[in-house]
Amino acid sequence: MENKNPLSPHIQIYRWHISSLVSISHRITGIINIVAITLICIWVSLLTLGDANYNFINQFLNSIFGKFIVLGLVWSFSFQMLSEVRHLIMDMGYGFELQTTRISGLMVIFGSFLLTILIYLMGKNFI
Amino acid sequence: MVQINLPKNSEVTKGKYYQDKTGSKNLRKVNVYRWDPSTEENPRLDSYEVDMDNCPSKVLDILNKIKNEIDPTLAYRRSCAHGVCGSCAMNMGGKNGLACTTPHAEIDGDIDIYPLPHLKVKRDLIGDLDGLYKQYQSIEPWLKNNSTKEKTEIVQSKEERSKLDGAYECIMCACCSTSCPSYWWNGDKYLGPAVLLQAYRWIIDSRDEEREERLKKVADELKLYRCHTILNCTNACPKGLNPAKAIAELKKMIATANV
Repeated sequence: MENKNPLSPHIQIYRWHISSLVSISHRITGIINIVAITLICIWVSLLTLGDANYNFINQFLNSIFGKFIVLGLVWSFSFQMLSEVRHLIMDMGYGFELQTTRISGLMVIFGSFLLTILIYLMGKNFI
Repeated sequence: MVQINLPKNSEVTKGKYYQDKTGSKNLRKVNVYRWDPSTEENPRLDSYEVDMDNCPSKVLDILNKIKNEIDPTLAYRRSCAHGVCGSCAMNMGGKNGLACTTPHAEIDGDIDIYPLPHLKVKRDLIGDLDGLYKQYQSIEPWLKNNSTKEKTEIVQSKEERSKLDGAYECIMCACCSTSCPSYWWNGDKYLGPAVLLQAYRWIIDSRDEEREERLKKVADELKLYRCHTILNCTNACPKGLNPAKAIAELKKMIATANV
């Protein structure tokens, strides 16, 4: 017989904390990165079709909206990278103490913004 | 499958409001999940105004006070009131824990009390844990030793025994498993932190002879690898244990073929 009793609330009521936030963000940025890499590949392939395509995308990326997207992607990559390092260390069996997970989670969050700024500044200097 | 929304019959509606009758100045609003199996109605969230001047420090004391003084129809599991039996596991202020060891002073604002998340509710704060117990049984949580026919004791050194610290203290309250999003959505296959911690406890027991078979059993894709180190389990454990670390150790044993 099927159990028709109600299901108790779960994600609606459960409080977020640093580790769960980092974990879900890791997944979301992972999906964003896959889409972004695909788009970058398409962009590169389009170069073989002539400079009109290059100019079009170049213009788009230099618009305010385009810059916003580029910065967003830089953050997404930074976050994924740092979070992956955290996962690697955890896969080796370290850093599972509650306090450590909080600190490493915060390091990932703040580090991702720091890295974004750093990459942005590097980009500015090279131009 | 990931299912964010609750099914239609599980949506929580606004319930009754029980105003304070003691005339106390020190009141706190306590919202409690209610569901009566004898009606066809949806679950509801009842609010109680509780006089905190005459209430001991733990959330369980509030529930007892509500049941004894305001509304005797409230149902919840409780037994030892000392954090040993694991009966009063529930979700308080958005976090799983034992009502008898969680101080209400730690919860800001209104005190929201729900049953353990993502369980079939039997009544009010009582969730159905049958699935979890079946999974616990499936890992065969007892000593398997073919040489037990020998009349001597099975010797375990102090070092070997110390490996069990942090694993044997589990009281199976299910706070960790029901805090885990992976377990919410894959609870039919994924064993969940509580059961995996126990699997680990028997795998590292030096007296057990079926280590390899046990490891092979949990190595199956969904049984173990649905752990994505969200760490809700370790955060929730009222006994301060670390199921996430135990699962990581299991993964490591399998990855390094350290069987």
